[in-house]
Amino acid sequence: MGFLAPLMLVGVAALLVPIAIHLIGRQRARVVKFAALDFLMATKRRTARKFRLRERLLLLVRAIACAAIAIALAKPYTSCETKGPQVTRGPQAVVLVLDDSFASSYVVDGKPWIRRAGEEARRILTQLGPEAEVAIIRAAEGADHPTELTRDHIRLRDQLLALEPAARPADTTRALSRAAQLLASSSHARKTVYLIGLVARTGIRDEQVWGEDGPRLVVVDARPASMPNVAVTNLRVDPESGIGTRGVAFDAEIANFDDAATSVEATLQIADKVVARGRVDLAARQRKSKRFVATLPPNVRSTDASVSISGDSLAIDDRRFVRASLRDKVRVLLVDGDPRTVRREDELFYLEAALRPGDRDDSGTQVRSITAEELAGIEPGAKGKPGAIDLAEFDVVVLANVPALSAERVAVLAAWVQSGGGILVAPGDRVDPAAYDRTMLPLLPQSLRDPIDTTWGATPDERDSRALHLVKWEADHPIFTPFPPSAPDLADARFYKIVLLGPTTNTSERKVLARFTNGAAALVEASIGTGKTLLFTSTLDRDWNDLPIHRGFLPLVQQSARHLARKHSALGVADHLVGSSVALPTGDLQKLEVRGPDNLGAAYEGDRIAGRSSIRFNRTDRPGLYRVIGSDQTGATLERDELAFVVNVDPRGSDLAPAPASMLPTSGTGGGTAPESTERRVELWHALAAALLLLLLAEGILVQR
Amino acid sequence: MTIGIDPALLARYGSLAIKARVIVEGALSGMHRASVHGSSVEFAQHKEYSPGDELRHVDWKAYAKQDRYYVKQFEQESQLTVYLVLDASASMAFGGGAIPKIEYAGLALAAIAYLVVQQQDKVGLLACGDKQIETFVPPRGRTNHLHDLLGVLDGVVTAGGRGDESPAHALQRIAELARRKRALIVVASDLFDAEDETLATLARLRAQRHDVSVLHLIDPHERAFPYDGLTQFESLESAHKLLVNPNAVRADYLARMAAFLARCKSAMADAGVDYHLVATDQPVERTLLDLIMARSRLGPGKGGGRDRRMEVG
Repeated sequence: MGFLAPLMLVGVAALLVPIAIHLIGRQRARVVKFAALDFLMATKRRTARKFRLRERLLLLVRAIACAAIAIALAKPYTSCETKGPQVTRGPQAVVLVLDDSFASSYVVDGKPWIRRAGEEARRILTQLGPEAEVAIIRAAEGADHPTELTRDHIRLRDQLLALEPAARPADTTRALSRAAQLLASSSHARKTVYLIGLVARTGIRDEQVWGEDGPRLVVVDARPASMPNVAVTNLRVDPESGIGTRGVAFDAEIANFDDAATSVEATLQIADKVVARGRVDLAARQRKSKRFVATLPPNVRSTDASVSISGDSLAIDDRRFVRASLRDKVRVLLVDGDPRTVRREDELFYLEAALRPGDRDDSGTQVRSITAEELAGIEPGAKGKPGAIDLAEFDVVVLANVPALSAERVAVLAAWVQSGGGILVAPGDRVDPAAYDRTMLPLLPQSLRDPIDTTWGATPDERDSRALHLVKWEADHPIFTPFPPSAPDLADARFYKIVLLGPTTNTSERKVLARFTNGAAALVEASIGTGKTLLFTSTLDRDWNDLPIHRGFLPLVQQSARHLARKHSALGVADHLVGSSVALPTGDLQKLEVRGPDNLGAAYEGDRIAGRSSIRFNRTDRPGLYRVIGSDQTGATLERDELAFVVNVDPRGSDLAPAPASMLPTSGTGGGTAPESTERRVELWHALAAALLLLLLAEGILVQR
Repeated sequence: MTIGIDPALLARYGSLAIKARVIVEGALSGMHRASVHGSSVEFAQHKEYSPGDELRHVDWKAYAKQDRYYVKQFEQESQLTVYLVLDASASMAFGGGAIPKIEYAGLALAAIAYLVVQQQDKVGLLACGDKQIETFVPPRGRTNHLHDLLGVLDGVVTAGGRGDESPAHALQRIAELARRKRALIVVASDLFDAEDETLATLARLRAQRHDVSVLHLIDPHERAFPYDGLTQFESLESAHKLLVNPNAVRADYLARMAAFLARCKSAMADAGVDYHLVATDQPVERTLLDLIMARSRLGPGKGGGRDRRMEVG
């Protein structure tokens, strides 16, 4: 131990002051010769001893306090060997990048790794001194980043203490980029980035974050020699008809991210009940699929399930959730307006294939195709006769290139739609807009006008360049939720001929769901009573466009059919990752509430839900089941099992392999890694000052007693 | 009516004899003389009349029988013997809030002695405290004796309290001296030393049909404990010292003192002892009067004299 101002130690002599005062005070005690001393002596044993003890304690406390003042003024310090980076004190700009991805919840010696990172960051913050301008950047994907450097170290310390692992993987590159931006705006000459935590390879992208003139990078990653991790990286659920109609098969992908072979026990839980267990042996760096076959509980059409493995040091990726639902079949009546003997030339060739891919039972749709003439079977007069069609047996009717129907048939169809049916109308060469205007308006959201042909007069070379494309679709609408924002599967489709639309009809809630590049409507939706109508302004085969040969056609058709039938659930719906945005169809709901695994969530009502076909829920912060509770127009509040969804962690974050130094940005002014060990000076006067305060407090208490 | 003079003022007067007279006269001024007369004499024998004899004592019945003048001779009844016991132990030297207890005791006992001799009774003195020195004045009834007694008493008081001998030994000595002759024993003590032994001896004296009065002297400071600030208390009878904050021990001390006084009063009452708790700042006349009144109330056979009470005048 040494002293920065050893002359101040002379002041230690001040401890003689309280001793002298004590002795003088003792001599100055009044002397009384007293006859009844025996009465006092009886209490002497208690009080005199207590008094003497108090006096001595007071003397001790005062003497130590006097000495402590002198010693603190002498600024004592000690040196200690410590692991970690050497930190220079003084004015500078520093960014502490902390890995708070879910990998930071990795437990080492009974403590999550983020605690060590936090301690290390606090130590660095202390050593930087109050003149350093500092910012803390969390490296988890999607984390909010600070906008400026600050000298408010108390707030930074609080931030570090409150740091908790996120449920998202690391995006270290983004964090480093932000750090470089913050430091670039600083006027300090010394600029340093401390990268603290598990610097995993998966968090680093191949991007140049800064050049040679960038800040100095110090990596603090004192990870143990081995960090084994096994995770459930994927979970699919499919129907398993072999064990009955309620049979489902769960395929879990289990990955070993360690260089040593291991064996784990996998457990399937359905609605929090353990259903099956199995052991999985994994070689080094191996991924294996484990299949569980089970039946869903009776009287349940939809439930949550999960596959978990026996716990390791990183628990968050040991369990993966899935939503398993029994799908309601959508019954579709296809009306072919242009039947052909050559199958692929038939108006319904692509539509039938899209609605029943592979013509399998598990496609979720039940299709019946008729010609426009056979539609006469829906008329009341046909009841009981051969060829009679009962519309109640169908959820959706598709009129594909069907010539204008008679007013009677339109009336029957309109009544059926009003009572909850869904109709999709698509034009074609056999559709006469004028005839449609006369009879078909009760089924349409807008009247039809003459079609436009973009290829008219064009050479074969110009044909494709003149084609229209789908743009501006309602991404939040249930029909478009399966598509990513750019959706090349839809946007690449070429439309050569479309029908233009005229004035709106006597329908409600009309909405254009998609438009073409020329601004014309592509898909229009409206409500008729309790039913819905969809108008597609081009054909459902390849006559006017090449959409049917694009991958987007199948989901577009399937989603449209399900939307018209108001049956959105599907088996093993999309696997949402933590932090992703989930679109939820609102249907007729007046209020919709989403509750996450920690029972927190959000409620949507009033303006947030009115007039919207779907809402987006963004607070998918934790993995697990998110329940949806909805209130309909009657005020009845029910848990909407069909809307419930699950959120899982991004399996990319489970790979803890360290990033090689070559992947990290080059350090601007120093070495890229921290020195293994260094000697540093620890100033002790702060502790002495604190002790002095405590001593004064103790003195005050003793005096009061 | 306020009776008496402040003991501190009284202490400045001249000799003890004068102080005793002042006290007695102060105490008795304005009070009636006793109405009891003649009962103190008893026929002893006949004597042939000679000139100068009182005619009222001529026995006319004897003259009728024998035709000679005889005069009745009366013998004065046995005198009251009063033993004054002064506790002159070191604790009696304490005088915190008034004159020292021993001085107060000296004044009170001197006044009693004066009064007793005035009544032609016998009074003796026994001082205790210092085991090495025995101060004993045998009981006599003459005026000269009073002066001797007061001189000895003054000497003891002037010497101040010494030693730690209990009054019990002095009382035992009196028990031996008085034997079967009944006596009035007046004890002036603070009873601080071996009070149990003293109380037992007092009870024994009562059992021997002696009349016992106790003047329990307590200094005002011993009652109230009015000390403040860091204080070192030193014992008067031993080498004990105690450095203490009086505030910390006051409540405990006062409780113990109150318990002690209650115990003394209760034990004295049980033994039939005439007990007077005397604060040394109260006038001695008051103490004397209280004692006289108490003796008057008790009367013969109830703790007072069998045949003579301590009379007023």
